[in-house]
Amino acid sequence: MTPKDSDREAIELLRQLVAIPSPSGKEAEASQFLAGWMDRHGLDARVDEAGNAIGCKGDGPSEVLLLGHIDTFPGEIPVRIEGDWLYGRGSVDAKGPLCAFAVAAARAAVPEGWRVTVVGAVEEETATSRGARHIVSTMAGPPAYCVIGEPSGWDRITLGYRGRLVVNVALRAPHSHSAGPHPSPAELGVRLWDAVRAYCDEWNRARARGDSVFNRLSASLRSFVTSDDGPYGVVRMGIGFRLPLGAEAGDIARDLRSLLAESASGAALEVTELGSEVAYKAGKSNRLVSSFLSAIRSAGGAPRFVLKSGTSDMNVVGPAWPEVPMVAYGPGDSSLDHTPDERQSLSEYLKSISVLEAALRNLWGDQGRAGAL
Amino acid sequence: MSLAAECPECAAKIALNDDVISGEIVQCGDCGLELEVVRDGSVTLRPAPEEEEDWGE
Repeated sequence: MTPKDSDREAIELLRQLVAIPSPSGKEAEASQFLAGWMDRHGLDARVDEAGNAIGCKGDGPSEVLLLGHIDTFPGEIPVRIEGDWLYGRGSVDAKGPLCAFAVAAARAAVPEGWRVTVVGAVEEETATSRGARHIVSTMAGPPAYCVIGEPSGWDRITLGYRGRLVVNVALRAPHSHSAGPHPSPAELGVRLWDAVRAYCDEWNRARARGDSVFNRLSASLRSFVTSDDGPYGVVRMGIGFRLPLGAEAGDIARDLRSLLAESASGAALEVTELGSEVAYKAGKSNRLVSSFLSAIRSAGGAPRFVLKSGTSDMNVVGPAWPEVPMVAYGPGDSSLDHTPDERQSLSEYLKSISVLEAALRNLWGDQGRAGAL
Repeated sequence: MSLAAECPECAAKIALNDDVISGEIVQCGDCGLELEVVRDGSVTLRPAPEEEEDWGE
């Protein structure tokens, strides 16, 4: 197979995987497809009990884990290629990085003593992170190195993510005449949200967190729904917190319960925690980071480190494996995550595959050799 | 530890392991700057890439 054929096959893999819708909880068809592709390209592949697509090459005791995710944010975008761009839901977040992992592993000549494992994990986009948690709980031991598949851009290396806390709040309060002095249930809901924002501002001010987004606590109102229940009004809010290093989800949830109770003027309140992860920042004085820096420079890039305001499966596996060198890497512009314009540059996708191949060779030192897809 | 290189910021001598590789990140003990090893025949140091912030995953 010529390099051009190999690149065409890599692009076709991405196009086909993006064309299979796989919102969280509905990844089965996509996982079967990816496992089948990996099986046909030299990996020992399967779909595990959680629904993760897994492919392994090599049988040595030292493992390089390439942990991507196969689920996407909801919402279909017509899949099409226009010039250098592949449009489609998940093309950036994160089927581009995941397919780059699969192709790089298929092309790798894994030296004796090593194995490389590609995982397309399920439910990364939800608070459950079920796929990554299943990997952590079922692996025989931590890998030697771990790369998370998320869009860093081909010449950047992601070192950390903020954590998250996702809660649902339900408020039930009696209706009153709109000409009267009492706030309506909807107004009470707005008052609660204002209290949450004020809490975040005060939390950041008290800890002198400055302007760094990575270092700040923030909250987003993900949903706000009002309904009637006879003489009562019900307000349901979905609130997502992003947690900086040093913020404990349990502490934030406890503060939230008391500040909402204070602001609710005696209305009935129910606060449900849906899930949480702590913030994580990986070290950079290790062979994994040096392997990527050299690989990016060899491809003509000027490497950069990046810290992300969002959350990924690094927040699950990083704290579970504190001694494992870890980065997140993959093609794509993360500002397109979850947007209606999500699109992946195909030339960047191919370049990131070359960087991954070189990084693996650097990681393995003199043992690593170029292979062929 | 027989290798040494100079910090490009403060000119301090920094001892390096014999098996140091390109891309390795070390810190200058004098000025605290993070440095990236360049090994291509000789061994030199350059300022390590800085940390940026970005939105999303």
